[in-house]
Amino acid sequence: MPDSAARLGFMLNGQMVEVGSAPIARLSAVLRDELGLTGTKVGCDAGDCGACTVLLDGEPVCSCLIAVGQVRGRTVTSIEGLPDASPSAASLQAAFLKHGAAQCGICTPGMLSAAAALLDRQAAPSEARVMDAIGGVLCRCTGYRKIVDAILDVGGGPSCAVDASPLAGRAVGARIERLDGRRKVDGSEIFGADAVPGDALSVRAIRSPHHRARFHFGDIDGFVRRHPGIARVFTADDIPGDNCFGVIGPFADQPVFAVGEARFRGEAVALVAGDAAVLAALDPADFPVTWEELPPLIEMDDALAETAPRLHDGRPGNILTRGRVARGDLDVGFAAAAVVVEGLFETGFVEHAYIEPEAGFARRVGDRIEIQACTQAPYMDRDDIARILGLPALAVRIIPTAVGGGFGSKLDLSIQPFIALAAWHLGRPARMVYSRTESIMTTTKRHPARMRVRIGADQDGRLTAMDFAGDFNTGAYASWGPTVANRVPVHASGPYFIPAYRATTRAVHTNLVPAGAFRGFGVPQAAIAQEQLFDELADRLGIDRLDFRLRNVLTVGVPTVTGQVFDAGVGIRACLEALRPRRDAARAEVRAFNAAQTGSLRRGIGFAGMWYGCGNTSLPNPSTMRVGLRADGRIILHQGAVDIGQGSNTVIPQICADALGAPLDLFDFVSGDTDLTPDCGKTSASRQTFVSGKAAYLAGQALRRAILREANAGEDATLTFADGGVTVEERGHRRALPLKELTPDARGYVLAAEATFDPPTSPLDENGQGEPYAVFGYGAHLAEIEVDLALGTVKVLKLTAAHDVGRAINPTLLEGQIEGGAAQGLGLALMEEFFPGRGENLHDYLIPTVGDMPPVTSILIEDAAPIGPFGAKGIGEQALIPTAPAILNAIYDATGARIRRAPATPDRVRAAIRALEIREVKTRDDTHA
Amino acid sequence: MQPFALEQGRDIADTIRRGRMPGTDYIAGGTDLVQLLKDDVRRPRRLVDLEGLDLDQITVTPQGLRLGAMTRMSEVADHPAVIRDYPVISQALLASAAPQIRNLGTIGGNLLQRTRCTYFRDTASPCNKRSPGTGCAAIEGVHRTHAIFGGSRQCIATHASDLAVALVALDAVVHLSGPNGARDVRLTELHLMPNDHPDIETVLHPGELILAVSVPAGAWTRRSSYLKVRDRASFEFALTSAAVALDIQDGKIRAARVAAGGVGTKPWRLPAVEQALVGAPATTATWQRGGRLATAGAMPLRDNRFKVRLLRATVTRALEQVGGEA
Repeated sequence: MPDSAARLGFMLNGQMVEVGSAPIARLSAVLRDELGLTGTKVGCDAGDCGACTVLLDGEPVCSCLIAVGQVRGRTVTSIEGLPDASPSAASLQAAFLKHGAAQCGICTPGMLSAAAALLDRQAAPSEARVMDAIGGVLCRCTGYRKIVDAILDVGGGPSCAVDASPLAGRAVGARIERLDGRRKVDGSEIFGADAVPGDALSVRAIRSPHHRARFHFGDIDGFVRRHPGIARVFTADDIPGDNCFGVIGPFADQPVFAVGEARFRGEAVALVAGDAAVLAALDPADFPVTWEELPPLIEMDDALAETAPRLHDGRPGNILTRGRVARGDLDVGFAAAAVVVEGLFETGFVEHAYIEPEAGFARRVGDRIEIQACTQAPYMDRDDIARILGLPALAVRIIPTAVGGGFGSKLDLSIQPFIALAAWHLGRPARMVYSRTESIMTTTKRHPARMRVRIGADQDGRLTAMDFAGDFNTGAYASWGPTVANRVPVHASGPYFIPAYRATTRAVHTNLVPAGAFRGFGVPQAAIAQEQLFDELADRLGIDRLDFRLRNVLTVGVPTVTGQVFDAGVGIRACLEALRPRRDAARAEVRAFNAAQTGSLRRGIGFAGMWYGCGNTSLPNPSTMRVGLRADGRIILHQGAVDIGQGSNTVIPQICADALGAPLDLFDFVSGDTDLTPDCGKTSASRQTFVSGKAAYLAGQALRRAILREANAGEDATLTFADGGVTVEERGHRRALPLKELTPDARGYVLAAEATFDPPTSPLDENGQGEPYAVFGYGAHLAEIEVDLALGTVKVLKLTAAHDVGRAINPTLLEGQIEGGAAQGLGLALMEEFFPGRGENLHDYLIPTVGDMPPVTSILIEDAAPIGPFGAKGIGEQALIPTAPAILNAIYDATGARIRRAPATPDRVRAAIRALEIREVKTRDDTHA
Repeated sequence: MQPFALEQGRDIADTIRRGRMPGTDYIAGGTDLVQLLKDDVRRPRRLVDLEGLDLDQITVTPQGLRLGAMTRMSEVADHPAVIRDYPVISQALLASAAPQIRNLGTIGGNLLQRTRCTYFRDTASPCNKRSPGTGCAAIEGVHRTHAIFGGSRQCIATHASDLAVALVALDAVVHLSGPNGARDVRLTELHLMPNDHPDIETVLHPGELILAVSVPAGAWTRRSSYLKVRDRASFEFALTSAAVALDIQDGKIRAARVAAGGVGTKPWRLPAVEQALVGAPATTATWQRGGRLATAGAMPLRDNRFKVRLLRATVTRALEQVGGEA
């Protein structure tokens, strides 16, 4: 029998390897930690996500579920060895790049491994086989269809358009592969957990097991003495600066470590630093803390009760903040209505479920601290860490890694304070990787919403009034609760003209995990209510549902509910009209299908419109880009916008290249690093293409002007970047700029430019009137679905998504955002709901698998925003918002049952259908009586 | 995760000798056990690996099907004779987990997988199954996915296996070997009801090992199917499921085998449905009657009441799919 101490051999990527890890160590951990092959990603560590898929004797398996002792003598292939081991791998990698099948890239090695195993066995698999083969690898970014298409392409299926190295001035609009794509498909991309100094300590947080509890520490020194390998325990007393952080300065309220009382399950109270193995084996029950459970406030009504204890001083009624937009006279509006509809709509907590858990390391460099971690907001991280450590902001350096999905939650601090504190005090690098449980338990969620909405329209189908009151469960700390409370009233009207309007919101504290930013900041919840009620209004008035919306859409010159008037770039009408051909065809197909049905299947169609303001709401929101020309003719773009998979590493260079007039392949990049790149703000609010893209556009133009000045040439001169130099041509005269004779600056640039863009907005008054955003994106989705009336199951058959993107900088990447957003919208509609304290893993918390996602047809509308770079607007959040209401409207269309509580799980759909059946029977009986 | 040792026996006898030692767990594919170890739900001092015991044969004879306990789920699911003669088994396997799990998970391990009850898997919660005597958090807590059959005041956790539902329907027999020798147990009798001891889940003695599972041949096995209703399209456990096998001749049902998943504290055979079907005509009315009888004796709670109607619809639909409409 094998001896635990013996070295253990297996074939890895064509070579025999021997490892010293214990036989019980998981294969995923041995590959990553002992063998340094970090292309194998760990998303859940429980076999629920498939990111760690490797081939074992040629078959895809989850390497996190295998003890390395079980692979003794067998053959393992990881992403690093896949191209040599699998005849399909290289074509698959190329196809993934071409189709845009890799976004953040965290699931890509697993996807490629699963796909290669299939294609090596079956050269031309059916779509069903492909979907089965990748059915166990979760992807949160792409919506899967581009992955399926890429695999089918290698199997002889249809290819797709791709533009290789566009010429100067032709980058915008080109379907180029993502510039950082290669390292995502070969496994070399560095994510938060991937590059760690060898001497790093690990840290582990001690967290409250209760929603609310008083706690007392015991003998911490004794605990440290009794546990060799534990270096130190940190509590609130060890924080040199403020034990407080938060994404919105005036509302910052979250402690790094709770003091005296923990306000939500999972809140950290202490941190243990030490050797990784010792920490992994540590039973948290051994830690000297005693808990006194207190009655928690779980429901918003409990928290709002007059007698409820307050979570925070200065927030009476446990109301964090309120939002309000009011315009016109509601009484007059409702009096003018021929029909008024109303309803109470509810949604639950939704988890971001990015496949990469929060991870990174920190190290102290003299009197500075450096943090390399996954994040959406490096500059905000810098400022908060400086506050916590009591350092000037410039003493903190944030180096963002590639981000394996963010969707809003990686805007907030997670691991950063812990690793920074340990590294600062111990003088050794400190690392932390959240477990999946920790990630789901403690990081922000989409706000549960409870919305009472009333809308009226006149006989002609014109909206007369809308009254919206929404409560949003914001959990224990502020996070982005104020943003949700402020964004929702501005957006709850949808992209429609409503003469009398009132929308009020409250963000309510409870003893639950903080709710924060999640793709759409509350707007997806509001759209679920508004767009369903619009269908009811149209039906009551006997007006076609699409025509009803078209009668009310915003257009150029028509004021929004905040009184803002745009003179260009209002593309909602075009989006809705773009759905009409498919809507008409689908409606006929559905009618024919349902007429032929004798069983319990019914089909339906539904659609919904959407608008979404790009950037911060009435707040400064600048991005700064720097671009430099080197003596050798290379152009360096300091691009600090964090790419979390959406594609800013590609789209922003495309914009800058065309603004400058240089071919894209002359560019090199300095990516986000607070020491090296100017502040590009945060990756949120659908602002990077619009705001950072505009800064890149301005910087590109400024560099062009600098070159022209250097050449003493006018604005109309032509620049040619080639052969390591720049040629200026003006009125028939050509001359090369002598780059090598120019004096380089400190960064090595002979010419450089920096530009800042801050979108113009105006403050909102007490009625929410003003100009909250410089640009809105618009869109509309059409869902075709099938409901099994007996089982309550819903299958989405097809989605058609029209989006006004202003200008499509990179259509492939835009489609990727649309499909991925639609997948998250589908999850919101049909399956996703997190119950704090229950199911903190990726098996009980369900996100869509490949089998849940239908084909998506994207229609790109280009109604340019004059202020955007080349007219471009944002897409990130826009893509998610209309999907859920479109699906819920389609369920009604198919069944006659209205789902007012998302998600529409089989039991809720069945219950709604059942209620309808009972009502019908009663009506029939009453009629007979 | 607690440190532990991983051992391998020389042969079955040596494996059992090691396996009977206190604090020892067997590990087969590990797809469930590794999660339980990681979450400190199981804390064995050592593991005995069953790999290499030559228990991975699939044997098809006129008398029936024999599946070695270490056969991988994917091998059985893709086996041509299983697909042809025992489709309900192949379908139940393909409805389980994901390819990466089915390539590791074994037949024996699948039958012995532990419940997905979130309280069982969360060591911070009380759970009589994990820590006897601490109480059942699910009865008062979130129990939408829990059992409507076979629950007790101590436990309402469902048995999670799809395969077991198919095998229970087909009268499978489990071949065991243990410190006291070999014995065969009917699969319907392998799992125990929770009653007052939800921590004791099977009749297996310490160290006893599943060697193989046999499914007797029957006129009904070819006409069989597995239907699973769940919250997403794949990679998810059942809200409800039904395994159905019918022998229909001249429009009359001669034999019926029906079992349900996602609803019972163990794989749940539905004898009342079977009795009502035998001798009845293969008609829609019969399938509906079968569905109605499927929930006799159900004891739903607040959040899982929907499973009563859903199970009726699931069984009706599965019968319809297998039996056809007359």
